[in-house]
Amino acid sequence: MSTLRKKIVLKLHTKFFIGDGLIILISLIFIVCTFKTFWHFETGSVVQVNFQGNTYGNFSLFQDKKINLIGKEGESIIEIKEGRARFKSAPCKNQYCVQQGWIHLTGQMLICIPNEVSIEILGKSKTYDSLNY
Amino acid sequence: MTRSTIKIKTTLLDHQIAQLSAIAIGLSLMESILPSPMPGVKPGIANIITLYAIYRFNFNTAMWISVLRVFATSLILGQFLSPAFMLSLTGGILSLLTLYFAIKLPSKFFSPVSLSVLSSFAHIAGQLLLVRIWLIPHASIYYLIPIYSAVALLFGLINGWITYRLLKHHNSI
Repeated sequence: MSTLRKKIVLKLHTKFFIGDGLIILISLIFIVCTFKTFWHFETGSVVQVNFQGNTYGNFSLFQDKKINLIGKEGESIIEIKEGRARFKSAPCKNQYCVQQGWIHLTGQMLICIPNEVSIEILGKSKTYDSLNY
Repeated sequence: MTRSTIKIKTTLLDHQIAQLSAIAIGLSLMESILPSPMPGVKPGIANIITLYAIYRFNFNTAMWISVLRVFATSLILGQFLSPAFMLSLTGGILSLLTLYFAIKLPSKFFSPVSLSVLSSFAHIAGQLLLVRIWLIPHASIYYLIPIYSAVALLFGLINGWITYRLLKHHNSI
């Protein structure tokens, strides 16, 4: 059994480890790259409205529009104005969605769980429904 | 009344594994009471014992210690088979897998610091992958990758350095 196992002898040297420096450098580059890729926000152009588990529709942000949705709790009003979107009013108790205010960057989201309404800002990078575009 | 005893023959290595596992479990438990700014942001000091075992003994010993530590800690904390346990196990397995390949790197150029950084990256990669697939199947968790990577590098360096000092102090090899 012991003959099968390849023995790896690890030694500890007391000098500058060039490999460590290399690994730390690669890690730092990786971290900077992930910051640049994932924390890169752009102004969105479309808002996707999800209602009761389905996509209700995608609306351009460059218009003034009010969307009224009547759910289980009552009426939610979504307002689109000047490239931004928000919940103007909601029937729920906590009003979290209303208090979060306006959103305009891609990936930002507002969710009203009691009334099953959520809105998300989409940009060029994400695919959206071409019918509503 | 007849006395029945079950004797398990234990070797010296078994005892050493048990001792090191006990230290690793102790460190894990100490770590679990530390406050954390974000779920999953932990120093992972028990990894010091795994790395120490790789240098002092071999990879198999380290593997035993790591797996025993994951199971025992979750049993003590009452998290056995919970998402926290599954995350810990996935991270542990992936970091062992990485170490298995990392120990083949020439030790002339790579110290325990390298192994520690690599294994801590593997640990967080495994956990994020499981979170993405199983717990939060939404792309928004990608925003967390930079933060967790930075934390992995920081604690990987610290743990690696402690392991290095420990091995040097014990004058092993």
